[in-house]
Amino acid sequence: MASSILASARAEPAPARRARRTRALAVGGAAFVALLILAALAAPLIAPADPIRQSLRGRLSAPTLEGADGKAHLLGTDHLGRDVFSRVIYGARVSLLVGFAAVVVGGLVGATLGLLAGFRGGWIDSAIMTLADAQLAFPFILLAIGIIAVLGPSFPTLIMVIGLSGWVTYARVLRSQVLVLRSREFVDAIHALGGSVARVIVRHVLPNVLSSLVVIATLELARAIVLEATLSFLGLGVQPPTPSWGGMVHEGREYLDSAWWISTAPGIVLMLTSVVVSRTGDWLRDLLDPTLRGE
Amino acid sequence: MTAMTRRDVLKIAAAGAAASLPGLPHSAHAQTTQKRDLVVAQGGDIAHLDPQLSTSSNDIRISFNIFDNLTSRRPDGKLLPGLATEWKLQGQTTWVFKLRSGVKWHNGDPLTSADVKFSIDRSLDTNLKGNRVNTVLTTVDHVETPDPGTAVVHTKKPDPLLPARLGFYGGQIIPKKYVEGVGGDTFNQKPVGTGPVRFVSWVKDDKLVLEANPDYWGGRVDFDRLTVRALPEMAPRVAALLKGEVDLITQVPPDQGERVKSNPTTTVSGALYGGLYVLAVNSKRPPLDNPLVKQALSMAIDREAIVKELWRGRGIVPSGMIAKGDNHFDASLPPLAFNAGEAKARLKKAGYKGEEIIIETTAGYMAGDKPMAEAVQAMWRDVGVNAKVEVLEYSVRAQRIREKSFKGLWWSDPTSTLRDPDGMMWRLLGPGGPQDYWRHPEFDELGNAARFSVDEKFRADAYKKMTQLFLEHFPWLPVIQPYEDYGLQKYVEWTPDPLQQLEIRRFNFKFRRA
Amino acid sequence: MRGLLPFLASRLFRAAIALWLVSTVVFVVMRLSGDPVPLLLPPDAPQSEFARVRAELGLDRPLPVQYAVFLGNVLRGDFGQSIHFRQSAFRVVLGYLPATFELGLAAFALALLVALPIGVISAVKRNSAIDQATMGLALVGQSAPTFFIGILLILIVSLNLGLLPTSGREDWHSLILPAFTLGAFAMASIARLTRSSVLEVLRADYIRTARAKGVSDAIVVAKHTLKNAAVPIVTITGLQFGTLLGGAVVTETVFAWPGIGRLAIQSIYNRDYPVVQCTVFVSAVLFIVINFCVDLIYGLLDPRVRSS
Repeated sequence: MASSILASARAEPAPARRARRTRALAVGGAAFVALLILAALAAPLIAPADPIRQSLRGRLSAPTLEGADGKAHLLGTDHLGRDVFSRVIYGARVSLLVGFAAVVVGGLVGATLGLLAGFRGGWIDSAIMTLADAQLAFPFILLAIGIIAVLGPSFPTLIMVIGLSGWVTYARVLRSQVLVLRSREFVDAIHALGGSVARVIVRHVLPNVLSSLVVIATLELARAIVLEATLSFLGLGVQPPTPSWGGMVHEGREYLDSAWWISTAPGIVLMLTSVVVSRTGDWLRDLLDPTLRGE
Repeated sequence: MTAMTRRDVLKIAAAGAAASLPGLPHSAHAQTTQKRDLVVAQGGDIAHLDPQLSTSSNDIRISFNIFDNLTSRRPDGKLLPGLATEWKLQGQTTWVFKLRSGVKWHNGDPLTSADVKFSIDRSLDTNLKGNRVNTVLTTVDHVETPDPGTAVVHTKKPDPLLPARLGFYGGQIIPKKYVEGVGGDTFNQKPVGTGPVRFVSWVKDDKLVLEANPDYWGGRVDFDRLTVRALPEMAPRVAALLKGEVDLITQVPPDQGERVKSNPTTTVSGALYGGLYVLAVNSKRPPLDNPLVKQALSMAIDREAIVKELWRGRGIVPSGMIAKGDNHFDASLPPLAFNAGEAKARLKKAGYKGEEIIIETTAGYMAGDKPMAEAVQAMWRDVGVNAKVEVLEYSVRAQRIREKSFKGLWWSDPTSTLRDPDGMMWRLLGPGGPQDYWRHPEFDELGNAARFSVDEKFRADAYKKMTQLFLEHFPWLPVIQPYEDYGLQKYVEWTPDPLQQLEIRRFNFKFRRA
Repeated sequence: MRGLLPFLASRLFRAAIALWLVSTVVFVVMRLSGDPVPLLLPPDAPQSEFARVRAELGLDRPLPVQYAVFLGNVLRGDFGQSIHFRQSAFRVVLGYLPATFELGLAAFALALLVALPIGVISAVKRNSAIDQATMGLALVGQSAPTFFIGILLILIVSLNLGLLPTSGREDWHSLILPAFTLGAFAMASIARLTRSSVLEVLRADYIRTARAKGVSDAIVVAKHTLKNAAVPIVTITGLQFGTLLGGAVVTETVFAWPGIGRLAIQSIYNRDYPVVQCTVFVSAVLFIVINFCVDLIYGLLDPRVRSS
């Protein structure tokens, strides 16, 4: 109901010129993510300093080309003298690791439940859809913090909680794809086109499903990264001294009036990542599957 | 909170807020004020108002002002009459205290020696749930009350320090009739004392309100109302001071000192803490039961760097278990050494296999607790220790203290209540004390003997020997003896005392009036 | 009202299921960590207390019975005694609720006050510098993490410009930054949606008004815009209002705003599980109730919806 209204409200005709521009932007966005992944993987090589190495002498120093220890600190040092720039790079590791893992977890659970709902129908379908509605109708973060409170913050718990916060979209999309497959129109279409069911599925349905999944995964990645950062900011995510963007913003809060770069640097990188990744998801959706709008 | 309705509390809170609004006669730029309310912000909420249930700094700042002791310790260390006007030693083990006449409890009952006996007995009562002061007055054998104005304290052995002992926590006098009447739980929520301020209301995690006791024997204080706010986060606490919303804040971290000093309306005032900031050790848990491991841990800490960088020089490196300014502080002992290489060697010798060593720290209860914990963790990692930091909420720390359930090391700021090793180190580390995780027969014997000896030379030697044992077994890892800084408005005239009491009696506190 | 009753019934059913699910998850998670009793009592509680609570929760009986007892307690609002505050957990949570309401309403009002005009202006001045700027900001507002928006606002507005307090709940000044932070996402979403709704109306009306004579553009645009854009805007506004509760946890923590979001976090740090449980549940109830009301309004406004 709401989705169709939203879809009609935002649909605009897309002339070819727009499509090309959107494609370029989507590619640009994907390149950014790829660059981030590369930076995260190559962190030990490109980070100028050890992210957990302390140097009490040079603590709280502003960005400089020559710090108290003679080295450059492009984004300054934090309250324990650790290089902020290096910590931001290593922080990318955490964000991407948790982000991707959560997306995979959510995707697997969601896809499974969606397929189940679509193929089995009946009360299983109703149950799963009600579950989905119920989860959407709830600020997940409260449940997340409640769960983490009892189980304690750890990587697996974090990934599981963040992953489970996003299964619904996958489930819905896959379910509708399955329903399309099973619909009368589709079966008729197969007969009309001729050829085996399997061939049709592979050549027409699968690409469709995959492109939907790619779009959802991208948008979910942005959301997962922000959720991880939020939980770390609250002290319920990645524990110190492991650098994480959210955790760094938390640590820098005390020094906002003096060493503002401690919070600002990771925060801006986080914001940038979130904006670019979610926009990339939007553009991918425009390109691949406009019917997903409003989901 | 059950007797007062929320509306009552809100009304009082509103009145308090209104009193500190700008617009009342109080110029931010002059150094005088007309205000009648004192607002203090400290780094944590109160846990207990019953003075025998807590020795935490957040609580003693209040309890020392609601209650009085028989003797009173001033910031300069002198012991002066409190509820007792004079005291005399009769024979070896009998102290006779003459009580001040005409003193009334906040509820109007008169103070009598029965209250003194009740207070001392209760402080020693190990069955009192949550009793944190049961090792303070253990030299006392029994108390007699020959008449309502006289209390006679008999000690087990000669105890020259008894009057001083009675001047600090454990020695606060509480009302027998009231406590027995309403029960301990109510007393803890609605205390009644003889002090310069009396209890009005308490909204947990928000504010405690006290009002001036007009009949206080020491002279009425210079304000009508004292509000104590709990602002655990440092930034809002400092901001509140700078904006003029509060008059005095505690636990100003060294990083913020400059900011408070350079602000035209505020200033910083500190005192060298009459105690030490230490990492107390649960020596029952391996590998912390191994002295070599603890020696290594101590040697791996670069205290100089901590003092210089994290504290901006506002502190000194301890040399042992006795704080500077205490009796028998051995000035000839070198500050605790930093030697990473030797630390590694000792770890190896100890057979350390990489077991996890956890520092359980609060964030803001003690100034610099979390940053120091992180710094120490990194220093330990540098010598190969698998060190972790666990951040606890203050209430969880209190819980672990009660249950003795710490997993590794935790910050403690043992206060030297007597300015004597007997009042700090022995009170805490002695058998049955709150930090009884390690015992050593010679240490115990010497500690006991020193407590009861009147021979200062004997005591000096005993404490020297105990220090040697301490430096071998490290039941504590002393880290720093800091200056504890307070932030004040310039119109507040107040001398901080080294023992965290936040004295606001007439002799120590006043607003600068035009 | 045709179809309204079945619609309401189905929404009510969905709300009840959601509530049941939340309580089940809470029950499961509490049991997951082992014996829940130590979590619910202060550690120095006497053995008799432990025994009493154990009996109360039915812990010595089979799991389904425990579950029934638990649900019964929940329905009565009995979540146990707060370890930290030493009063009923439910009372504690109720005490902190007004602050969250205040913040939520302010955020919501602010979001509408800012987003609606901006959306309209951007649509009218399509592709101008203003349009680009505001839509760029809206994009950031939708993707940026709420906690960082708050931190940035504190840094720029409070610390550097000194205009507003950094934290706490003193007077109406303290409300502005938290309300803005909490409402940022909603503000951005509503602004974007308003813009596209208005654009759609403009496009449709352009042809019509070109032929009409004597009627000013502005009035026609305004009338039609209001009619057509209202429904999607109300929808998304309703959705946003519900999610404000979730965002409140973060915003209240950043600004030390004494509402139930902050209470939840503090209670976790304090290991005060009765309050954590109660907060989760009360928030869920609120959220579901709000969504139900939104659905109701929506159903009243747009009959087409009722059959979906």
